[in-house]
Amino acid sequence: MPDAIGGHGPPYRFHRSRRATMEDSLTQIAKAVVSGLMMGMVFGLVALGLTIIWGVMDIVNFAHGEFLMIGMYCGFLTATGLHVDPLFGLPVAAVVGFLLGLACYYGLVRFLLRGPMVAQLFGTFGLMLFLRNVALMVMGANPRGLHQGILVGKSFIVGPGIIIELTKLAAGGLSLAAFAATWWLMNRTKMGKALTATALDAQAARYMGVPTEKMNALAWGLGGGTVGVAGALLVNFWPVDPNVGLLFTMIAFTTVALGGFGSIPGAAVAGLIVGLMINVAPIWDALSTCLGIECLRGGQLHEFKYSFVYLAFFLITVFKPRGLFGWKY
Amino acid sequence: MEVLKRAFDFSDFPKVDLWVAGAVAVFLLAFPALPHSSLAMATMIQFLMFSVYGMGWNTIGGYGGQVDLGEAQYVGIGAYTTAVMMIRWDVPFWVSLPVGMALAICWSFIIGYPLFRLKGHYFAIATIATSLILKDLFESWSFIGGARGLKIPLKGDMPNFLYIQFRQDYYYYFIMLAFFFLGILYLNWFRHSRIGFQLRCIRDNEEVARSLGISAHWAKIKAYATATAFVAAVGSFHACYNFNIEPEDTMSLDLSVLIALMAMLGGAGSLWGPILGAAIMVPMKNYLGAWLGARAGLVGIDLIIYSTIIMLVAAFEPRGVWGLITRLRQRRRV
Repeated sequence: MPDAIGGHGPPYRFHRSRRATMEDSLTQIAKAVVSGLMMGMVFGLVALGLTIIWGVMDIVNFAHGEFLMIGMYCGFLTATGLHVDPLFGLPVAAVVGFLLGLACYYGLVRFLLRGPMVAQLFGTFGLMLFLRNVALMVMGANPRGLHQGILVGKSFIVGPGIIIELTKLAAGGLSLAAFAATWWLMNRTKMGKALTATALDAQAARYMGVPTEKMNALAWGLGGGTVGVAGALLVNFWPVDPNVGLLFTMIAFTTVALGGFGSIPGAAVAGLIVGLMINVAPIWDALSTCLGIECLRGGQLHEFKYSFVYLAFFLITVFKPRGLFGWKY
Repeated sequence: MEVLKRAFDFSDFPKVDLWVAGAVAVFLLAFPALPHSSLAMATMIQFLMFSVYGMGWNTIGGYGGQVDLGEAQYVGIGAYTTAVMMIRWDVPFWVSLPVGMALAICWSFIIGYPLFRLKGHYFAIATIATSLILKDLFESWSFIGGARGLKIPLKGDMPNFLYIQFRQDYYYYFIMLAFFFLGILYLNWFRHSRIGFQLRCIRDNEEVARSLGISAHWAKIKAYATATAFVAAVGSFHACYNFNIEPEDTMSLDLSVLIALMAMLGGAGSLWGPILGAAIMVPMKNYLGAWLGARAGLVGIDLIIYSTIIMLVAAFEPRGVWGLITRLRQRRRV
């Protein structure tokens, strides 16, 4: 697993004045927070697709991380195959994700909805295995990363020691744009209102003449499209391999649970929080250095950065099942 | 006595089922005497292991209707208890087996209490979350070997019944077969027991169950503990059978899902379902892997076929093979 999310812990520095150590660790904290927030925006975008699907249809999509993986491969293949900038991969990934979502809905999910909940869990799990292994067969198991493009490899310095990589910044900014677009779509257009109506009460929506079947398909399409964009953004700084999905599926579940099922602003805010959560270890290390309690440095804390996410999911669903902004439970 | 009588009471099944089950039992007992390849032997042992895993899952997932996707954490607990005790303190398998089961039950109580406040999807994903947390813990805990896992040292004399280390596979086979038969008897008792009826009531309608005075939360926790004990027992066996365990192969999500999937493919909530599921799935997985996986350029094609089957079953026959059989029978009767 590449260590692309969090920074590394601050290196030990011996024989330096207390003041220097303190400034150093403050910088480290700022760095970790900034990188966490920027990753968080992408996490939010990953979770957005899931929250649309989950909110509208109350079905859990285990294959969500695999949609992301396909989005990442789309970005990668567009950039390397056509020798263009990775940013051109964004629309391609969006379209491919949209079509993939539609295909999954009409090919599989439509049938799963008739069965019990267990069938939905296993059906989407089967989809996950299927997509992962198709990717394995077509693309091979080696991790692939992008090494060129306008954004790749460039960074600028904000303040002493805080380096912002342009890829991450662009990913964060474009995620925000995608969020705004989705929010507008859901709240300001007739189609979005129909989607929300379906989410609130599918039967009533059907009585009011909303084509709920089409709305379900649309939710899957939108879910796939947004996560495709997230994948194309992510591939700029995160190598892609066929097994990358599960981690992101779990992160997305946590984000959705934290933000509240079916809430778009919730997904954005929760994404930021999850991004910070993954950087808890460096932040804590720097903080303990800063306060002079180095004995409390979490030595192995780095190995548990994803455990925090899983633990958060567990605690949120048990103690606050509506999440931060949720209206549905 | 009453318990034993109930455990051996199969009278509510149709005669045909019992004949088939008897024939299968005879076949299982005679299998090592028949000519077989070593792959076939390994497949049979795996089939028995996954049947017992599935039986465990069936108590909570089938009868209780709570889809648990975190069983692998108990495989890990059982396997690591046995391995650590054997390596560090030279404790025989038959002592560490109940210890592992007890630890698994303790852990299931600890996480089961909050877990069962959740329902449906949320429960399923939360079990995955706990399982992954435990896996991360095991991977970084150096006392139990960390991510590299543990290797069980070989004792000198080979047919060693105390530490179950054998050169021939059929010893392992018979030990697992004993677990298998015990599991069937236990589940047969469980079906008719008070908790079994309570669980089915909860699965069908939890509000009604509560209004009848069943403590749904407690019943689920008890069933969960039962399930984990089964799984941990097989986990202990797995450690001794493989000699080599690591978090990646004993505690991964794939294993959890495989366990649940086999039970569901066979038919959750029926006595024979998990066995049927394992009988279909394990040979398919092993032989497809052996035939297709070895060919270059076809990496993962066995898993593609396998996941297609999962999707088809989930979409068209969510009650599994046993549900299909039941439906065919009903149609014939009408």
